[in-house]
Amino acid sequence: MKEAKEVEDKALPHYSCSGHFSGSLLPLLPQLPSLPFHRRKSLVLRLAGLLSFLGAALVVSPIAFAQTETEPEKPSETAKTQGAASALSHDLSGVWMQYRDGDVPGTPGMNGVNEHYRPPLTPWGQARFDAAKPLSGTKAVAGKEDNSALRCEPSGPPQILVLPNPWEIVQIPGRVFMFFEEQHIWRTIWADGRPLPKDPDPSWLGYSVGHWEGDTFVVETIGFNDKEWVDLYGNPRTSTTHLTERYRRLNQDTLEQQIIIDDPKVYTKPWVSPPKLHKLEPGWEIAEWFCVLDENKDYDQVVRKPAGVAPASK
Amino acid sequence: MRHQLTGSFGVLVAALVFSQIGFAQTSQPPETKKAPAASSAATKNLSHDLSGVWMQYGDGTAPGFARMNAVDDRTRPPLTPWGQEKFDAAKPLMGPRAVGGQEDSAALHCDPSGPPQLLILPNPWEIVQIPGRTFMFFEEYHIWRTIWTDGRPLPKDSDPSWLGYSVGHWEGDTFVVETAGFNDKVWADLSGNPRSEKMHLTERYRRLNHDTLEQQIIIDDPMSYTKVWVSPPKLHKLEPKWEIAEWFCASSELQTYDKDVRKPSGGVSTAPNQ
Repeated sequence: MKEAKEVEDKALPHYSCSGHFSGSLLPLLPQLPSLPFHRRKSLVLRLAGLLSFLGAALVVSPIAFAQTETEPEKPSETAKTQGAASALSHDLSGVWMQYRDGDVPGTPGMNGVNEHYRPPLTPWGQARFDAAKPLSGTKAVAGKEDNSALRCEPSGPPQILVLPNPWEIVQIPGRVFMFFEEQHIWRTIWADGRPLPKDPDPSWLGYSVGHWEGDTFVVETIGFNDKEWVDLYGNPRTSTTHLTERYRRLNQDTLEQQIIIDDPKVYTKPWVSPPKLHKLEPGWEIAEWFCVLDENKDYDQVVRKPAGVAPASK
Repeated sequence: MRHQLTGSFGVLVAALVFSQIGFAQTSQPPETKKAPAASSAATKNLSHDLSGVWMQYGDGTAPGFARMNAVDDRTRPPLTPWGQEKFDAAKPLMGPRAVGGQEDSAALHCDPSGPPQLLILPNPWEIVQIPGRTFMFFEEYHIWRTIWTDGRPLPKDSDPSWLGYSVGHWEGDTFVVETAGFNDKVWADLSGNPRSEKMHLTERYRRLNHDTLEQQIIIDDPMSYTKVWVSPPKLHKLEPKWEIAEWFCASSELQTYDKDVRKPSGGVSTAPNQ
C-alpha cells in the first residue's frame, strides 16, 4: 500500500488537493484524489450497525455511547473564514466527519439541524410532532423510539446529514456524489444546470440539484416523502419540504455546511441552522455499514430483551 | 429524462419468473432478440471508458424477458458437500425447485444484495470512473460499490461483508475486478447456489463499442463448488438517456404490499417481522 503523503497546510486559497483552483473556476476537470487512503483499522471494531446508530443518537438513553471513531474535538484555528474571502476552493472532495461541538459533553451535538433555531410549528406540524416518539431530547423515552431508521428504513436528507458518521464527497463534471457510511447510502446532486423538477414523486432522498454562488456550493432538494423526520427529535419532513444546503471549503481540512429547511406546511418560517463544521479525514475510507432487519432482530434477542428494553422491530 | 421503476416489488417481479405475480417492470430490457455481435477476436485499443448507464440484453430463453444469465446455471460445476447442503436448504426464486410464495432469498426481506447476485438482475446500473477508483451504482436497492484501482492488492483477511472488497486493474482491453471478503448471507444467484466467505469473484469487462459492454463473471469458491465456475460473457447496452432512479427496499412498503396484494391473493408474506 502506498504511504500517505504529508499534507501541507498551505495558506488560503491554494490547496494541494487537485491542482490549481481559482474561485470562479468550475470543477470541469476530472476529480483527482487528494491523498491515497488507508483502510481504517477501526473497521474491524465496528459494532453492529444498529448499535452504533443508537449509541450515537440516544443521548439520554441507558445505552452507552459506543461509536469507535472519535469525532474531532474542536475546529482548528485556521477554520475561521478569512473575512471577505474569495477564491475558496471548489474542490469539496474527501471523507468528512463533523466536529463535536454539541451541547452534551462527550457526544456530538448532531446540531447540523439545530433545535434552538426551529421556528414555531403550524397546527398541522404540531400534531405530527406530538405523535412522533423521538430518539433524543426531552420527549425521548428509551425503548419507545419510533424513528423509521430504527426499522432500517432509508435515512435521507437532512437527517442523514446530521448524524456523526463519516461521509464522502466525490465530484465529476455535472454531478456531485455524497456517500454516507450510515446505511451505505449515496445521493446524486445534479450540477449540470438543470432545474429542480416541477412535480417529482415522493422519495426517501428527494431530487437534488446544485450550483455555485461564488465560494458556496448550494444544493436544493425537493420531492421528499413524509416517512422520516428531518432530525432525531421528530420534527416533520413532508412532500412540500424544500431543503437547501450550503457548503464552503474554508481550507484544506475544513468544510462548512449549513442546512436550511423550508416547509410552510410544517414550520411557520424557514428554519435556518447555524453552519456546522466538518473535518477532513484523509486516512479514512467509507466502511460498509448496512442496516439489516434480520440483524436487528438478532440484536433484540441478544441485547434488548435481556436488558428489559422494548424491541425496535415491530 | 428520468425513468421510473415501480417500487420495492420491482425486483420480485423481475425475479419470480415462475410465480403468479405478473411482470410489471416499467423499464424494458432492450427489444432486440439477439445482442449485437461482439467485435472481432483480434480487437485492440478498445476504450477504457466504461462509464454510462447500462442494461443487460434480454437474450434469454423467454421472449421479451431477460434471462439473468450472467451467472449461468448451465456451466455450474458440481457442489461440495457443504455447498450441496446450503443449496438444498435454499428456497429459490427461479428454476425447477422454485415454489411460488415459498421463496427465501435474503433480498426479499430487504437484506442487501451483493455481487454476483447484484450483477445479474435486469435493472439499470451505472459505472463512474475517477482516478484510482471505479464506482458502480445499481438501481436495485440503491446499492453502490467501490472498486479500488490505485494499485492496492486485495486485503489478506477482510471481515465478511455484503459487498466484499474490490480491486480492479486493466489487462489490455479488459478491466478485471477481483472481490473477496464476502459473507454467506446472499446467494450467488437466484437459484439458491451458495456464496461462502471463501468466494473469490472475478469480473471481466470490455467496452466492445460505444453502446456495448461485455461482462464475464467467474466464481472461484472452493467451499461451495468443486471447480471454478465460468459463465459465458453477457452483453449490456448503453442507455444514454437513463438515470438511476431511487429504489429502496423498505420494510414498511413490503408490509403494505403484503396487506394490499399478497394476503388477499392468498400468498405468503415475505415482509420482515411478520
